[in-house]
Amino acid sequence: MSDAIHWTLSDFAILLPALLAGLLVTVTHVPLGQRVLARGIIFLDLAIAQVAGLGIIIAHSFHWQPGGWQTQLIAMGAAIAGVLLLNFSERHWPQIQEALIGSMFVLASSVGILLLASNPHGGDQLKDLLVGQILWVSYQQLVLVAVLYAAVLGLWFKFRQQQSSLLFYLLFAVSITASVQLVGIYLVFASLILPALAIRRLTAYALPLGYLLSVLAYALGLYLSALADLPAGAVIVVCLSGLSLLAALLLPSLLSGLQKQHR
Amino acid sequence: MQRLIRTGSFILLLLSGVSITAAVNASQAGSLKVFACEPEWASLVKELGGERIDAFSATSAYQDPHHIEARPSLIARLRQANLLLCTGADLEVGWLPMLLRQAGNQKVRVDQPGYFEAAAQVTRLDIPQQLDRSMGDLHAAGNPHVHLDPRRIQDIAEALLGRLIEIDPAGEAIYQQAYNDFTKRWQDAMQRWQQQAAPLKGQRIVVQHRDWLYLFDWLGIEIAGTLEPRPGLPTTAAHLQSLKKKLQQSPARMIVHAPHQSPRSAQKFARLSDLPVLELPYTVGGTADTQNLFALFDQIIASLTGPADE
Repeated sequence: MSDAIHWTLSDFAILLPALLAGLLVTVTHVPLGQRVLARGIIFLDLAIAQVAGLGIIIAHSFHWQPGGWQTQLIAMGAAIAGVLLLNFSERHWPQIQEALIGSMFVLASSVGILLLASNPHGGDQLKDLLVGQILWVSYQQLVLVAVLYAAVLGLWFKFRQQQSSLLFYLLFAVSITASVQLVGIYLVFASLILPALAIRRLTAYALPLGYLLSVLAYALGLYLSALADLPAGAVIVVCLSGLSLLAALLLPSLLSGLQKQHR
Repeated sequence: MQRLIRTGSFILLLLSGVSITAAVNASQAGSLKVFACEPEWASLVKELGGERIDAFSATSAYQDPHHIEARPSLIARLRQANLLLCTGADLEVGWLPMLLRQAGNQKVRVDQPGYFEAAAQVTRLDIPQQLDRSMGDLHAAGNPHVHLDPRRIQDIAEALLGRLIEIDPAGEAIYQQAYNDFTKRWQDAMQRWQQQAAPLKGQRIVVQHRDWLYLFDWLGIEIAGTLEPRPGLPTTAAHLQSLKKKLQQSPARMIVHAPHQSPRSAQKFARLSDLPVLELPYTVGGTADTQNLFALFDQIIASLTGPADE
């Protein structure tokens, strides 16, 4: 069981869908994460991801297929309803926004548990939602998400200057609903927050360096999980944490040194 | 920035260096590669192929085969396999289809000789009269835990022999001889087990999950009740109370659960009913003395017939 497997170069091709999923998540989540951090609503993604997950569970209790359009519609609808509620509460009670987000998270989780109480694989489904199964990602899924993310990024960079709260929330809901099903809640949170934390104090190249950091972490995590035979999602989270910590410590002084040299 | 890029490309170079070393090591072992979903099938195919077979089990005795965590090595192994050997009957439905898709190995596709389902070779019990998801974790193809009946193991071994010869005709003589040898030892062992287990006939035992159905069917033991209210669901206090009432009319001998199941519900019901709890090895490899199918059944029979005072 634990004897080493012989990895050939072509065997690493099996990690390609997972790596592409990582690239897609990176492209949208690093800029979204910067905004989440700036607004100080860190648990927004956990809450919205959980609400989208609740939508998937509801769809499942109607016996709809996990990848089917009805499931996607319900998950997306649930996430959008969630952000509309939070957008409303942010305008009316900004001082308790974080508390409301946290409450939404535990409520969505608990309702999910109740709905799955009579489902023999309920525990597994809840765990899959959290940990994700990035290795099971199919090319068909990737194409759909790529199209969706292209639209999200187009809107994001077009209206970036306007700082519209509603638009941010809507794009966030759409992105998270897709990425949670691709890689799970843990990786979504890590991809949003950790690179954004690492590049928080950078004045130049912040986004490109955030992208580079995240892509390196996904590649390294997949590579290590293959060599050490460990679940991929968890290894990637650890790599994201390690690389982000390194980058946060080293990048600011490195960059300012380079700028001085140029001057 | 340039220094950054240089460091980055150095790391990438280092990583690709390791991969190429791995590639060089890969061209060993010319044997028939078997990817078994559960350890009992890895053990069976080794009985029939010996040195000619390189068998790997995706799950261990401590894992519930209904659900496993995706690991890159599973995809890589299935990619290289000549034969996929699983229980079937929907036991692995939660992960095997995805694994097959990601591995993309044409030899082990569902419609190919390289794909072998053990449960499909034998008659199955518990096939539902009508399908209804509200019944819980019911398998439309019947109860999948067929490996716990030695008679069915014999039938599966015979079908597996045919499949091995079909995939690897050059090994026919080796497989046939190993099969004959296995059959002789297995029939002898079965007689022994049946003699040892004769006193168990007609006894009633409470189980956690109906994974012991085929074992009990073989030994003439009756399932007195299940701790799960419905297959796959965690037990509830109300269910245990009604089970206790049921047992007052027709008592049971003990409570049995598998090592990959948490003993908590069994212990809870033990306090309620004063019945002893027995953790019975469910498959090969659970403990040091269950390293093959023979040892597994030796252990199961010894535990069931031993003093029930745990």
